[in-house]
Amino acid sequence: MRVDKARCVGCLECVCYCPVGAIKEFPQEERVFIDEEECVECGCCLRVGICEYDALWQPELSWPRIIRAEFSDPCLVHPSTSVTGRGTEETKTNDVTGRYPRGYVGIAAELGRPGTGTWMRDIERVAQAIIPLGVELVSDNPTYNLFEDPGKGKIKEDIRGEKVLSAILEFKTTVARAPQVLKALDKVAREVDTVISVDVASMLEPDGSLPAEDVAAEAGFKLRPNGKSNLGLGRPRAKILEGGKR
Amino acid sequence: MTHTNHRQGTLESLSKDYVVFMYAASGFNDKNVGPKLQEFLQLGLKYHPVNIGSPRVGNRFTVSPEELVEGVVKEKKAYLVFDDKERAGAFVKDVVKADLGVSVIVSGLFREADRMCQAAGIKRHTAQCSLGVWGKVERLSRQSEILDITTMCGHGMVSFNLVRRMADDVRKRRLSPEKAAGIIAKPCVCGVFNPKRAEELLSQYIASSPGG
Repeated sequence: MRVDKARCVGCLECVCYCPVGAIKEFPQEERVFIDEEECVECGCCLRVGICEYDALWQPELSWPRIIRAEFSDPCLVHPSTSVTGRGTEETKTNDVTGRYPRGYVGIAAELGRPGTGTWMRDIERVAQAIIPLGVELVSDNPTYNLFEDPGKGKIKEDIRGEKVLSAILEFKTTVARAPQVLKALDKVAREVDTVISVDVASMLEPDGSLPAEDVAAEAGFKLRPNGKSNLGLGRPRAKILEGGKR
Repeated sequence: MTHTNHRQGTLESLSKDYVVFMYAASGFNDKNVGPKLQEFLQLGLKYHPVNIGSPRVGNRFTVSPEELVEGVVKEKKAYLVFDDKERAGAFVKDVVKADLGVSVIVSGLFREADRMCQAAGIKRHTAQCSLGVWGKVERLSRQSEILDITTMCGHGMVSFNLVRRMADDVRKRRLSPEKAAGIIAKPCVCGVFNPKRAEELLSQYIASSPGG
């Protein structure tokens, strides 16, 4: 995002809309500027139409900066998933896709959420702590494409300096292995310079019990009382092969 | 793998917050899903949702319900927010009956989602549970009401500073809590933000910090 200095009158109305505080006031001039290091190109300030003087404008973004918009602007369709924003289909379509079949759990670590943002180095650090545990990094997730080598959790060299509003590391693992993954995630979360919203997902068993709940309890964590429930109304249903493959 | 999953708040406050949405699966049932999304929205509008939306079309504060219904024809998902479990449950019942063949998700208290399913004669398929926020939590706002409000936008478009600014405007009687909550809801393009709940939380925040 940029500010047209000829149009900006320094009313400061836009400042509070920035999710990462990147719109700043010039100390001795009656106008604002965008701290490009901090700006995650989410487009929020422009989209809400707060500037009466049309001083905010979005330049065309090129690689690698476009990574910021792809992970921060919820209106952009991510090229890797055909889904708007940085999210994935995860639980939302699990009744159809079988992404997390019986016997498996999905674990997601959303770095930078809420309201903090994250740098690529933190994503790499968390990935490198979890991948050696033998989990499967979910490939139809935008974050997967940030890695030069997803098997090693190494971020591509030319995007290392980029910051995004948040990025979701999504893993699939067996119910048996999941508590160990959560413990490792807890450990590495204490070493990064951002916040991480963590969740765990699974299919419900025929008796109504939820393996994800047992996994969290075994690892020593408590689940919040609210979250997402897929009602199982979608069709057709993917055929699940041995080993949880689709 | 998150979006509406990490809404924070007390049980009492969360009991007035349900997002019901339809989501087509890419490569499975997303072709020509538009008319089904339209039917889904029309079924839900009968139950007076407090917000509605789809990311590239808009929310209740940026487009009319008619524009949204028309606009989702090219989309893959649509959201409705209810501040009442009875109305959300009645909508779920209608959706089950309509049998549209596209994934439907209830985001809210699990015990209530379970009851809604039981009343509609179905069982939940998959659940996704939040384990909360880990890491450098000292970087977050210390006022719980602010986080309870901002976490209602899963894409993080509602800033801590916007909530503080709106609270200040309400304190100075420049805005009513209702109007301020509507302004806070606008950046949440998907329409999953619950403005009624935000109005209550904003009033609580102001009461707990009268001087700002």
